[in-house]
Amino acid sequence: MANALAVTEAPAIKTSGNARIRRTVDQLATVFLWGAAFFIVLLLAVFIIYMFYLGSGSISWHFLFGLPSEMTAGGGVGPEIYNSFYILFMTLLFTVPISLAAGIYLQEYAATGRFRQAVQFSAESLATVPSIVMGLFGLLVFVQSLHWGFSALAGAVTLTLLNLPALMRVTQEALASVPDTYREASMGLGGTKWQTIVRVVLPSAIGPLTTGIVLVSGRIFGETAALIYTAGTSVAHGMGAYDLNPFRSAETLAVHLWYTHSEALIPDVDRVGNGSALVLLVMVLIFNVLARVVGRALTVRFTGKA
Amino acid sequence: MLAAEANRAHRDEAIALWILKAASAFFILSITLLIGYLTVEGTKLFTVDHKSVFEFLFSPTFSPEQGKVGALPFILGSLFVTAFAVAVGGPFGVAVGIFFSELAPKRVASALKPAIELLVGIPSVVYGWLGLTLLVPLIRQVTGTSGFGLLAGGIVLSLMILPTVISLSEDALKVVPNSLREGSLALGATRWETISLVLVPAAKSGLAVAVILGMARAIGETLAIQLVLGNAPVMPSGLLNSASALTSEIVMDMGGASQGSLLQHSLFSMAFLLLLIAMGLIVLIKLALRKSS
Amino acid sequence: MIDRENLTPEQAAGAKMNIEGMDVYYGSFHAIKGANLKVPDRHVMALIGPSGCGKSTFLRALNRMHDLTPGARVTGKVTLDGTDIYAPTVDPVSVRHRIGMVFQRPNPFPKSIFENVIYGPKLHGERNSAKLMEICERSLRSAAIWDEAKDRLHKSALDLSGGQQQRLCIARVLAVEPEVILMDEPASALDPIATSKIEDLIGELKKDYTVIIVTHSMQQAARISDFTTFFLLGELLEVGTTSDIFTRPKDKRTEDYITGRYG
Repeated sequence: MANALAVTEAPAIKTSGNARIRRTVDQLATVFLWGAAFFIVLLLAVFIIYMFYLGSGSISWHFLFGLPSEMTAGGGVGPEIYNSFYILFMTLLFTVPISLAAGIYLQEYAATGRFRQAVQFSAESLATVPSIVMGLFGLLVFVQSLHWGFSALAGAVTLTLLNLPALMRVTQEALASVPDTYREASMGLGGTKWQTIVRVVLPSAIGPLTTGIVLVSGRIFGETAALIYTAGTSVAHGMGAYDLNPFRSAETLAVHLWYTHSEALIPDVDRVGNGSALVLLVMVLIFNVLARVVGRALTVRFTGKA
Repeated sequence: MLAAEANRAHRDEAIALWILKAASAFFILSITLLIGYLTVEGTKLFTVDHKSVFEFLFSPTFSPEQGKVGALPFILGSLFVTAFAVAVGGPFGVAVGIFFSELAPKRVASALKPAIELLVGIPSVVYGWLGLTLLVPLIRQVTGTSGFGLLAGGIVLSLMILPTVISLSEDALKVVPNSLREGSLALGATRWETISLVLVPAAKSGLAVAVILGMARAIGETLAIQLVLGNAPVMPSGLLNSASALTSEIVMDMGGASQGSLLQHSLFSMAFLLLLIAMGLIVLIKLALRKSS
Repeated sequence: MIDRENLTPEQAAGAKMNIEGMDVYYGSFHAIKGANLKVPDRHVMALIGPSGCGKSTFLRALNRMHDLTPGARVTGKVTLDGTDIYAPTVDPVSVRHRIGMVFQRPNPFPKSIFENVIYGPKLHGERNSAKLMEICERSLRSAAIWDEAKDRLHKSALDLSGGQQQRLCIARVLAVEPEVILMDEPASALDPIATSKIEDLIGELKKDYTVIIVTHSMQQAARISDFTTFFLLGELLEVGTTSDIFTRPKDKRTEDYITGRYG
């Protein structure tokens, strides 16, 4: 006992018999999980590179703005691109106000209750309706019963129904991201709930709101199944394809990509298809980047914090 | 605030509230109309044409011009291709979800996440087109068949549901309290043991929801698979033979179906079936979530 | 210069753990500054000090929990029976078999009581179900919760009360058969009755284990510990027998804390 701190023969840190196996399993699992994640990213990179490789040859002014041809080679997709944007904006015009209003109601006003549950359940149900089924509904109601025929309007209203749940969710999450302290401060100063929402909550939420709307726009831009039998698979002839008439047939770029590979008679299907796919991909990329950039900029502008 | 102003503010709010409620009610109206119309149109095959539900669901022959409306080929096609997607995309997606939640350092996560988001944004028709130009020729080269068929459809679908499963799995795992991780590690468990023995079981209902939602996406997917399945309206006979699914059949033949025809009614019945399956999956999700609490 | 070597020679020679020149950094924040401590075997050592002074940080360095925090860095030497646990050849997983930890909030797994207790032994490869049951009973008895648990071994651990869950967590640690038990304010989330049960338990545990306990309650330290260490702002200022620290503190700052000048 006398010598202070005699360091005796120290046994090694005890390891149980299977420690080495366990450590190996842990390492293997780590490698596998990292590999899985990078595999996906690699796959995506391959796709993107491949699409650029295949499609860039098709891109030209004529392709992007020119008229399609029925049976000969050399057609462009100008009207289709135009229709994609046209239907996008019309859809947003209908969808944003409704889902914004519903989202505000559910998030700020109705905490519980049967009405709220019904609305929530309706939104969830709408969200799981397959897009082709929604397209058939549109065919039934808008194209046939209401006699709109294959039209941009029929397509836009159908897409509205399809995207209402998504935008409502975007609204709810954007509103939820605004701290309660803002609401309390506003009400404490004598504001009504509605005034609080309009003057304080919405401006604070505008960043996430915009990001969400732009991201959903990307999905609307690429929507196909719901549009084939509502907006149709043809465009008006000649320059009539570029007007604002909502009752004419309005084939979008995405639908065109499908159509050329299923039914079309043109000989240069590949050229048109590759180019269309590339344009769609680039648009999605742009929407993605735009969503983030604009969202962040608006957040800084309206709330002063990055 | 002066009394007059206060009154005006309250009145504004009352009007606003009315509008908000109307917008919310629109959701209820939409889904009700949808279910209503599809039920009516989807059952015309049975009510107007007097075909039997049994034939529709279980007969393997589909040729409406001869009065045969067995949708079994398409039902099986959908089921198979969905099962494939869930079997491949499910575990893979959960694995990547685990990666993001437990393994990825912040910098790596923020670099890779945008890639996953991009995958979500790619339109299904582009996935189908990629399948057509990349995957089908590849299968053709490797196996010597046409390349079209259930295998191609299954692979494309697996890819499509990946982003959904990944982000929902990650969310499910992130919600598990950190104290459980610490407790496990402090008992001398390795990280993988903590993940597999503690975290995944703790998150199992959230993970189940992730997979079910992936399934819902898969079964409703149309364009991605229509371009690579081959679309022969016959019973599925192997991974590499041309086949059809409910969704792809609808989109293929709807254009040529005249109003009121047997073909059209059959297609609407298929759409109605899809709707029922989708609703059924929602119920399944609710059950899975209730189990967790 | 504060004399930190004021344990009696007998007690110092029987040091179970020896911490030399330990520094802990969180990024650029210097959380623990040059700590030296000898922890005597089979006694209770309390770590006291005002909140935020680094007691928990210090404790977590003793079973390499900081390995899991990105940006945390531990330097210096921490030996267990003479072997540095931070040596590059040492597997942190093995360290945690010998040095267990009980946390501030009870954190049982969402599994049955039985599954919770045998989690550790199962990891080490114990498969025999009779043996596992024996380990389970022994651990639950040692943690003074056998009577309350024996009829619900296969029911969820989450159904237990807070105090019971914490004793379950202790049983879970005991099942691994560690030599040192680190406790990070184990009773702070519990009501007084549950707290006193835990304190009684610690009194029993020290017969077989070395216990190091962080506590924000001086009264608790006075009740249950043999030795006490005082921390302030990341520095280990003074260590000694509990009665010495509380009646004859050597450092003015220790005395100020003890007498309640700051909290």
